[in-house]
Amino acid sequence: MSKITVPIGPQHPLLKEPLAFSLTLEGEHVIESAMRLGYVHRGLERLSQERTYVQNVHLFERVCGICSHIHSTTFCQGVEALSGLEVPPRGLYLRALLCELERIHSHLLWLGVQARNIGFDTIFMYAWRDREIILDIMEDLSGGRVSHAVNIIGGVRIDLTPEHRDVILGQLDTLETQIEALLGVVENESSFQGRTRNIGTLSLEQIRRYCVVGPVARASGLDMDLRRDMPYPPYDQLKFRVPVRYEGDAWARTLVRMLEMVESVHLCRQILTTLPDGPTSARAKRRVPPGEVVSRAEAPRGEVIYYIRSDGSDKPARVKVRTPTLTNLITLPDQLQNISMADVSVVISGVDLCIACADR
Amino acid sequence: MLLKLLVFPGFLFLFVCALFFDWVDRRMIARFQGRVGPPWYQPVADFIKLLAKEDILPTGANPLTAAALPMISLAAVLTAGLYIPFGTISTASFEGDLIVVLFLLSLPALAYFLAGWISVGVYSVLGGSRALLQYFSYEVPFLMALAGPAILSGSWSIAHIVDYQGQTIWIALMQPLGFVLAIIGLIGKLKRDPLDIPKAKSEVVAGSLTEFSGRKLALWHLTMNMQTVVGIFLLVNLFLGQSSVFGTIPAFLSFSLKSVGILLLLSTASALYARLRIDQLATLGWRVLAPLALVQILVATWIGG
Repeated sequence: MSKITVPIGPQHPLLKEPLAFSLTLEGEHVIESAMRLGYVHRGLERLSQERTYVQNVHLFERVCGICSHIHSTTFCQGVEALSGLEVPPRGLYLRALLCELERIHSHLLWLGVQARNIGFDTIFMYAWRDREIILDIMEDLSGGRVSHAVNIIGGVRIDLTPEHRDVILGQLDTLETQIEALLGVVENESSFQGRTRNIGTLSLEQIRRYCVVGPVARASGLDMDLRRDMPYPPYDQLKFRVPVRYEGDAWARTLVRMLEMVESVHLCRQILTTLPDGPTSARAKRRVPPGEVVSRAEAPRGEVIYYIRSDGSDKPARVKVRTPTLTNLITLPDQLQNISMADVSVVISGVDLCIACADR
Repeated sequence: MLLKLLVFPGFLFLFVCALFFDWVDRRMIARFQGRVGPPWYQPVADFIKLLAKEDILPTGANPLTAAALPMISLAAVLTAGLYIPFGTISTASFEGDLIVVLFLLSLPALAYFLAGWISVGVYSVLGGSRALLQYFSYEVPFLMALAGPAILSGSWSIAHIVDYQGQTIWIALMQPLGFVLAIIGLIGKLKRDPLDIPKAKSEVVAGSLTEFSGRKLALWHLTMNMQTVVGIFLLVNLFLGQSSVFGTIPAFLSFSLKSVGILLLLSTASALYARLRIDQLATLGWRVLAPLALVQILVATWIGG
């Protein structure tokens, strides 16, 4: 059989963001793949050196659209540690509330994209309809549906009245019913399973070798979640479970993300009902004392690491960002080995790519 | 005769039905998905819009063949439509017209593959070869399922099969297995979800038709829609033919209701399932559907004979 080279990207209906693959097919089987990144590189790390810390909070929120809040959270966390700033508990809880809401939002978006890529438009429509509930909550809280600009160095700039809190709790109840229904479909529906079971299987050994993080790692049996293992406040006071599966295929990743959504809803409820009183932010100084810090947080796609070095001025000397998508991307050539062309879309979207995160 | 050919139940009537069925299908699927769906004039608007668009082809693609293929497909589907009665009215009929209709209805599949082949681009070629693979998986069970009513009624003329059902009951009730197989085969023939493998957007962009645009694409879409209409009419005639089930309502009304009923069945199937992979379809077609079709034919021969 003759070989043909199929380009996937940089523009392709299955990709949300530009990413270039060059697949060599023999019939319907992929025998070789080559990947190319960098289409969304904006030089954010270099730009951050020209901006003050306050301006950088705004900048780093734009590393990614879907996980914007967690990026600014990790950055603020690092700067606060360098400055020796103590964020009041109410501010920390509100930050975590938006982190969890964003996690649900990201997973619902991903579920829709994954369903669309396997031809199941109905689930795509349902998941994105339920995503509107979360977007409404986030808009009422912060004024923005996807980009919130809630974090400031020292805390958050928003607050919550008890009436608003009750409204959000009601919306979360509706959301939970819808998520349970979608979970039922994913767990039981045969055509969905036929397209995702035993596709793109990664073993635990491969996970460890590539340092994969996030739901992809948890779907292959690696029980690791930064919120539980190295709890950054307020997660040290919150109870939640970390879903882990052992099959390691695309279906396991779907299940892990759906169960994480359910856990996030529980976490949001806990945060809302145990919200401490007090101020929401502490006053930050313009200059940050010299030093270096490594700040980590659990983004929807895994562990995100910010290394910040300060030289005592009001601009950072170096900020290095390691996003989880970068580690997940490295597994793709392995996953694309010897699969059918139809499974390429499942595999590529199964690792929940956020190329903007990976390219910065 | 010319009036029957061009207006009713000929070209103009099938054209209007094609647009109407497209609208019903899209509206039904949208409602299943929690959306509103397009207004009634959407298919008309889409057709007119495509006619006005730029018509370009990649270098290396033969412009004559590219222009001829959609016309050949449309002609085949329309000719097949001539022999399929609408209610009690039929443009033409003769003994053996079922075989002619089935042959004509398989021409668009070949033309679809050729369209992908001559388009030169990678996605087109992939889509075209998938279309051919799909054709080999569903066509045999489909033909066997449609041979069932012919064997039962002892005639290869569609009009006679309808008359036979008028004297007995719907063949769908006598051969339920054949009916289900015919529906599945029709879904494959029309390249609808869950069997829209040749035009899977997330894999081969648009399959064979990726490089088509403008008037040619308008004709292709029209062919697909007409194929839907003709296929549904064929199934209604063969399996849900005239009978006294609905009492004394006029024949064209009961025929319309049955056609829209089958369309709703197809829309439901589209909304409910994920797309199959081509090897899953091949397994399904040859390991499940073809043996079942064979069983159905044996039962029909035993009952009819």
